Amino acid sequence: MRISKRVDELAPSGIRAFFDLVLGMKDVISLGVGEPDFVTPWHVRARAIESLEQGYTSYTSNKGMVELRLEIAALLERRRQISYDPEEEILITVGVSEALDLAMRAILNPGEKVLVPEPCYVAYGPVVELAGGKAVFLRTSIENGFKVTPQQIDEAAGRGVRGILLGYPCNPTGTSYSKKELEAIARVVKKHDMLVISDELYDELTYDFEHTPMATLPQMRDRVVYLNGFSKSYAMTGFRIGYACGPADIIGAMTKIHQYTMLCAPITGQMAAIEAIKTASGDVLAMKKEYDRRRRFIVGALNDIGMTCHMPQGAFYAFPSVKVSGENSLDFARNLLLKQKVALVPGVAFGHCCEDHVRISYASSYDNLTEAIARIEKYLKKK
Amino acid sequence: MSKVKPSPSTVVRALIEVSITPQKDVGFDSIAERIYSYPEVKSCYLLSGGFDLLVIVEGESIHTVADFVAAKLSSMANVRQTATHFLLRKYKEEGQIFKHSKNERRQIISC
Repeated sequence: MRISKRVDELAPSGIRAFFDLVLGMKDVISLGVGEPDFVTPWHVRARAIESLEQGYTSYTSNKGMVELRLEIAALLERRRQISYDPEEEILITVGVSEALDLAMRAILNPGEKVLVPEPCYVAYGPVVELAGGKAVFLRTSIENGFKVTPQQIDEAAGRGVRGILLGYPCNPTGTSYSKKELEAIARVVKKHDMLVISDELYDELTYDFEHTPMATLPQMRDRVVYLNGFSKSYAMTGFRIGYACGPADIIGAMTKIHQYTMLCAPITGQMAAIEAIKTASGDVLAMKKEYDRRRRFIVGALNDIGMTCHMPQGAFYAFPSVKVSGENSLDFARNLLLKQKVALVPGVAFGHCCEDHVRISYASSYDNLTEAIARIEKYLKKK
Repeated sequence: MSKVKPSPSTVVRALIEVSITPQKDVGFDSIAERIYSYPEVKSCYLLSGGFDLLVIVEGESIHTVADFVAAKLSSMANVRQTATHFLLRKYKEEGQIFKHSKNERRQIISC
């Protein structure tokens, strides 16, 4: 056996074949894209180009450029009223994906468990497993808006559970949590002396209330690894810049792994990220406004054609039920693709509890969304 | 009533520089009013610089706009000179960028 047992035992993606099918088709309306349809704001792209012209092509500090860490610290102070020391408590990573991996490897001993509310981002389970841990999935459903409850956490916590990996607003459901709901979760976390790996990448795309970082709740700062980045809010996915903030011991441990594996995040991305913080807050708001317009349209339209859909509070995804079709999520997605050329992501990609749902990304033009809804309705009527 | 009712997709637009002789007491206002009252005139601005009014005119064709300029605008009393610039392509307007060939650069599907 040439492949390690740990990798070999990782569950294969159940939707790989479906993705291959989508990639082989032409003239498809895709609502299956997990990244913004906006191009990075021009000021940011221009700074990246300029930095290359000026010869910024070297490594940076392992932790990331100090100017970027200072800007992030100031941004969090200004936007979220939370303070992190740029020298000891902030690490620049290659997207939040790397930060997630580092956090798991930094905190987990072999066999230790991490609670993961489901549905969740596709990488959550694998990063826990690859770090030698065990993911314990907590199932949620549309009935309670796909929110994990403090009771679920309380019942699953205990011996061998190091923490909870919570992503909000959530990819794929768009679900987020009010401050009150987070406080109830925080109480259980403190009761069981757990850590929270808090993936808040979509925080700026919260529509109905102000986003509350888990780390700002009383006595939580020292037990939260706060993850964020530039990919979604600033439409900078390709620049691959994320960051982790947290207690110095955990950030130090993450930095230790990062320096031996990644060395540093790409300098062009870091230069662009500095510019994004300085100049792109208006662009972030404009994109959010457009996503919100689409959100209201798509959720209303889905419910109108019989696909029950809760109102997501954030991100740019809707997660409707496909029960009306009589099919499971994979069959629905496959048949819709073949018959109406609309691509979306089957819910099973995001957890076993999602057989009856599909993820629809509204990071697509209004015209595309309108046409896609018409085709989905046609598909359902022909059944 | 104007016969000019161009639809957005077929509209021809021209930016016209107009030099005028200001009138006693009313300056540019009176002649500007006579110009902007035409429905063909979509916008009219008094500017500093080498000419006086910038007039934006829309019509169904280049000929319609040219006829309007020749018959109505150039011949108007106190209008000394006009220079007509037809709009060929719109790159950006009111903050919105118009791309004539937008290539989708994202992967067609991703999680």
